[in-house]
Amino acid sequence: MGLLNNTLPDNKLVGAVDTAVGWGRKSSVWPMTFGIACCAIEMMAVFAATFDLDRFGAGIPRATPRQSDLIIVPGTVNAKMAVRVRRLYDQMAEPRYVIAMGACVCGGGPYVKWGYNTVKGVHKIIPVDIFVPGCPPRPEALMDGILKLREKIGREAVFARRNEANTQMNAKYDAVS
Amino acid sequence: MEALEMYTVDDRSDVYTEELKLNLGPQHPSTHGVLRVELSMDGEIITASRCDIGYLHRCAEKIGENVTYLQYTPYTDRMDYLASMNNNLAWSLTVEKLLGVEAPERAQWLRMICAELNRIASHLIAFGTYGIDIGANTPFFYAFRERESIMALLERPSGARMLYNYIQPGGLRRDVDENWVTDVLAFCDDFEKRWAEYNTLLSNNRIFIGRTANIGVIPQDVVYACGATGPVMRGSGIKWDLRRDVPYLKPYEEVDFDVPVGEGTHGTLGDCWDRYWVRMREMMESIRIIRQGCAALPGGEVMEKVMKKMYKTPLTPEAGEAYMRCENPRGELGFYVVAEGGTSPIRCRARAPSFCNLSLLDSLLPGTMIADAVAIIGSLDIVLGEVDR
Amino acid sequence: MNEQQLHDKLRATGLGGIGELESSARDPFVVVEASVLLEVMAFLRDDSETAMEMLHNVTAVQRETGFDVVYHLCSYSRHHSLTLKVIVAQPEGEAGDWEPAVPSVASVYPSANWHEREQWDLLGVRFNDHPDFRRIILPEEWIGHPLRKDYVYPSTFGEIPLELDAIPLYERDENDPPKPSEPRPAGTPLTQPPSEYSTRPDAGGRAPAPEKKGES
Repeated sequence: MGLLNNTLPDNKLVGAVDTAVGWGRKSSVWPMTFGIACCAIEMMAVFAATFDLDRFGAGIPRATPRQSDLIIVPGTVNAKMAVRVRRLYDQMAEPRYVIAMGACVCGGGPYVKWGYNTVKGVHKIIPVDIFVPGCPPRPEALMDGILKLREKIGREAVFARRNEANTQMNAKYDAVS
Repeated sequence: MEALEMYTVDDRSDVYTEELKLNLGPQHPSTHGVLRVELSMDGEIITASRCDIGYLHRCAEKIGENVTYLQYTPYTDRMDYLASMNNNLAWSLTVEKLLGVEAPERAQWLRMICAELNRIASHLIAFGTYGIDIGANTPFFYAFRERESIMALLERPSGARMLYNYIQPGGLRRDVDENWVTDVLAFCDDFEKRWAEYNTLLSNNRIFIGRTANIGVIPQDVVYACGATGPVMRGSGIKWDLRRDVPYLKPYEEVDFDVPVGEGTHGTLGDCWDRYWVRMREMMESIRIIRQGCAALPGGEVMEKVMKKMYKTPLTPEAGEAYMRCENPRGELGFYVVAEGGTSPIRCRARAPSFCNLSLLDSLLPGTMIADAVAIIGSLDIVLGEVDR
Repeated sequence: MNEQQLHDKLRATGLGGIGELESSARDPFVVVEASVLLEVMAFLRDDSETAMEMLHNVTAVQRETGFDVVYHLCSYSRHHSLTLKVIVAQPEGEAGDWEPAVPSVASVYPSANWHEREQWDLLGVRFNDHPDFRRIILPEEWIGHPLRKDYVYPSTFGEIPLELDAIPLYERDENDPPKPSEPRPAGTPLTQPPSEYSTRPDAGGRAPAPEKKGES
């Protein structure tokens, strides 16, 4: 949607189009097949029969970052892995979303004190939309995180002018990457 | 002109090929985590491979030197996160060996039942994800359905779904509820029927056999040389199981079970299918052990009174060292702990079975096709949390 | 065979440098000189009565006086095991970054290859004549060996921040780069010291719990 991004005035017509686009986006959030540690097993449980993430249109894990909208970071990110996580995020197409799953990626978790090579929270590397704490979080918690993300996507302005804080935040990240 | 000559030197090959470097991982659906393998390819044939691990290094050994013996139990959960009970058990036995205490009898039997339940859950993941690696998606959903029942069973006494922290030095954290044993037996009955389903789904599937038989053959001398243990060792026909040969829990001496080994049913002895089939049959042996354990479960305490008193202050074993080996779903887990009298050890080394099994890979891959590399990695059934610790 | 018989068998080979059997330890071990380590290993593997097929584990332990390198050997056909130790004393006047060296046993037991690389990576013990001697777990550019007792925790690795209070990469202001943090004293962990309520051993241990009634 390139040139039109956040340039149109914020009126009722543009708002209605935004709502329609947002509904389309939030109903097919495709996550990336990306497992790091223990939380990845709970993430797999969410995709499997009992919890069935497909109900929310997010049940098709994509094997490549270029086809996926959502990266769930499930498990401790260490110094060696952080470079790769960053690169995976950079390879994803906009709009892209990040869920930090588990205590380690939310802020260090059990490895916060003595972990000489763990990154204390993946938000030091990439911007995070939703934090799901727990060690590991129960599948219900991850599902709740995805529902919250759907709400967030649905509210997003696509064509209308974004509010000031949102724009600044994006400009900051664009400057780095 | 030179380029033309290059094409016409050898009449048999009409296509000029060159060596290609291929990176497998760390983000790849079939590396079971964050393993990276650098492959040199000649067309579709692998000529050399180099494993790169360490993408999940979480400083477990350093942490072990800084926290108390009891505080380290949850960190052992997070090493092999598919078999937390077995890791808890190995750590508890090591600390008990250092302290010179023994868990009460009821605790020992419950430990055995929990460890075997977790073994089934772990092998179910191996079964489900191996199906996905080969290209069969359905077994994954079946495997996770049964795994959920095991997690529900283990959640009742421990309070956690995956990382239990239930078995502790000296016994168990708390006793199971009164209906637990009945429910475990009901699960066993149910699981036997499901197991037959799995075999029609995957084990005897012609495509699956075609993808795994005669692939990744590990001879017995290589098993010994590389230190591979567990189903990888038994898949090559070596009848060895610590539970039978060096029983580390008393109940293992009293229950009756077989040690399944590979027989080369569909191809050469020690191929991927043999390792897969060993895991499948081990699930049934675990069901046998659980049934006998539930029948013979004695009453009494689940935690030593001595230990209960000891827990009021951090444990301080005397100076010395202990090495303890346990049969985990992936092989022999060994903990080597050196104490010098303080509240934490001065060295806390974990000999991880996946780490040793993975060291086979570099010698196994050259000469195989790229598609078989995925089948071989899957058949080793590694957990990267344990490889890197 | 028990450990005593294994030790007798080792002594009967006539190799020098084989110490006494420490039978009082929980796992009896034999201290071996580094110079005869390869011969001892090869003998234990090839002799039909000892038949140690597998080197189960290689561990290095840092003590105040130097380093121990511990080898756990197992026999799967004979159902016995033996622990060997090589003790490398720290020469006087050596600094903290001294690197002890022992011969690599990867030529006798290929399984030692990865174990020895890991011990080099984490503890900085050199294994001479190793076929592929480099770091295995940490990145090649990593500085120091983290399991050393005097290891100083890094605050960054490249541009990756490793501290809890670090500024996220995408929030950094290029005109106002973060100041390099002060060097820490040896062995200090990354975060704040434990609070008085902590049960960590370095916080003085847990306060004794009040006695409950009805408990012996």
